[in-house]
Amino acid sequence: MVLTLFIIITISFFAIRLIPGDVLGEGANPELRAAMRARYHLDKPLIEQYVIFIKNFLSFDFGESINLYPRRPVFDVIAEKVPLTLVLNIFSLIITIPTGIACGIAAALKKNTLTDHAISTMVVFNVSVPSFVFASLLQYFLAYKLGWFPILLDLKAPFMSGAQLWSMVLPVLALSFGGIATITRYMRAELFEALSSEYMLLARAKGLTQLQATVRHALRNSFIPLCNVIVPMFMSVLSGSMVVETIFNIPGLGSLMTGSISTYDYNLTIAILFVYSLINLTSVLVVDLSYGIVDPRIRIGGGKTRE
Amino acid sequence: MTRRLTAEDTAFVQTDDKIYDQKFEGKPIGFFKDAWMRFKQNKASVVAAIIILFIVMMAIFAPMFAPYGYREQHTSFGILPPRIPVLEKLGICDGSKIVEIQASKLGEYEECLMEVLDEYTWVYRNKEIPMLRIKINQYIYKGAGDYYFWFGTDNIGRDLWVRLWRGTRISLLIGFCSVLINCLIGVVYGSISGYYGGRVDMIMQRIIEIIGGVPFLVMSILFVMFMGAGVTSFILVLILTGWIGMSRMIRAQFYRYKDYEYVLASRTMGAKDRTLIFRHILPNAIGPIITQATFAVPSAIFSESFLSYLGLGIQAPEPSIGVLLAEGQGFLTTDPHLTLFPALVISLLMLAFNLFGNGLRDAFDPRMRGQ
Repeated sequence: MVLTLFIIITISFFAIRLIPGDVLGEGANPELRAAMRARYHLDKPLIEQYVIFIKNFLSFDFGESINLYPRRPVFDVIAEKVPLTLVLNIFSLIITIPTGIACGIAAALKKNTLTDHAISTMVVFNVSVPSFVFASLLQYFLAYKLGWFPILLDLKAPFMSGAQLWSMVLPVLALSFGGIATITRYMRAELFEALSSEYMLLARAKGLTQLQATVRHALRNSFIPLCNVIVPMFMSVLSGSMVVETIFNIPGLGSLMTGSISTYDYNLTIAILFVYSLINLTSVLVVDLSYGIVDPRIRIGGGKTRE
Repeated sequence: MTRRLTAEDTAFVQTDDKIYDQKFEGKPIGFFKDAWMRFKQNKASVVAAIIILFIVMMAIFAPMFAPYGYREQHTSFGILPPRIPVLEKLGICDGSKIVEIQASKLGEYEECLMEVLDEYTWVYRNKEIPMLRIKINQYIYKGAGDYYFWFGTDNIGRDLWVRLWRGTRISLLIGFCSVLINCLIGVVYGSISGYYGGRVDMIMQRIIEIIGGVPFLVMSILFVMFMGAGVTSFILVLILTGWIGMSRMIRAQFYRYKDYEYVLASRTMGAKDRTLIFRHILPNAIGPIITQATFAVPSAIFSESFLSYLGLGIQAPEPSIGVLLAEGQGFLTTDPHLTLFPALVISLLMLAFNLFGNGLRDAFDPRMRGQ
């Protein structure tokens, strides 16, 4: 994991330095340019820059933002943006996971009935319509035509106040859209498999009611593979929020990323990429570890089993 | 109650006649024919296949036969609403637009006025200004009375119809190319890893873990920044990690089939590894390969428009669906047609591919039906 992170920041360092385009802009006067180049070590050879960069990075000094927020430490800039993005994502997950599980259970229990077909149709639609198209539609119809919600995120209202939460409804909905479909689909498949398995027959045979058997045996077993989907979903919601943030004008991590790329803000871009990679790799790690906890049959490093 | 058998019971019945096998009626049904028969039953998938075909045809031919070029600018005709010859008589897509003006300025709109919708007063700095909400023909207002832009124009007067289909063409091109290459890499990688197993498999899987560990978003942003945005770099981005899913599936197939007796039999008869891999084991996976490739196309198209939306898209003036959507976003409240049409096409395209994929999956593997 550390190795992967190291590879990522190394690649990002060189990739960003090699992009055509000048950090400092064309019009700046020569003295200013020289001073700035010295300040950000841009006057040294690439390898030396890299060594300085890695040294700073290891001591958690991510440098200063160059263009987007001149002379402010990157760490502060990011720390300022993270809460909003995090709040959006957590809200979205709070909506996504229970809704998805509920729909999946409903579809599996009522397989091949009208309920099931309706839910399956919804799943296909949710998977097919991209989140940003959905976000635009919500914005146009619910916010602009009907006026139920503010069009953009309410930034003047204090953080987490009622007005701001109300303006968050649409972005959160747009973010949850695809995730619900994914969870529903998995839940339905897994639960259906569990319901038709032999231990369910045994459970019924020893006298449990259908409800008891479903809740205690089938549901528990079908949650195991779901871990696989839910944890990485955090990452996909996070990347989905980049676009949704742009649409609803939310100053979060996503818009910071797009902004930093377009202004050639080296330090900022690398730091954000690092944050994203860190979150992703952590989620992969959590998935791997959670296998052992949720299902004791799977233990890494145990006896070799053939697939 | 038992009965003793006599010699008559065991006598041959047809000693004189020649015995023939019963002749098969009907034709033998091969793998693909079998799949096709099941596919046909799924009406939604057939409709989806027709929609895909239609969109592909439009993407190929619509820009060729359109009266305007995709980069042809009519600077004075910026942001015209859609106007289609026959439909305009029915009142839809007639190039009309609702504007709010001061009542005193009605004279300016005399020629193009279609309907006065509403009159109201607007209080501005304690003055009451009479206002009108009127529906005007934007084409006549801008002096473009003879033009028909079917899907309207964007802010510098480029025809959305042409740009949309050209964008679809590029999105489809990126989708198909990347999926094709992904399949090739995935099949070869997965076959080797799954067939040889052991140490080779272990090393190859660790490599996959490292590559797969880098988040797609981060990887693609870096790559596009490094290579510059273009069709080639987009395809490469989608290839970087796209083949992993395919190779995993193929590897699982190999683990399942490589210990079968028929493989052993073939090996005993001296078949080389290459023959075993490509001739005996791989064809088992043909159904899942086709299905997975079909599902990969819409996700490739989605990734492309996603990156375009973030401003990492194909360079202007070349359009793609994502670029068009991103451009339209700025005019969402005033001119929704710029968002509506690209959104419709991309949603329809992805919907059709997903339904088509579902149909293929059910057709190739009936056990998976409805899952």
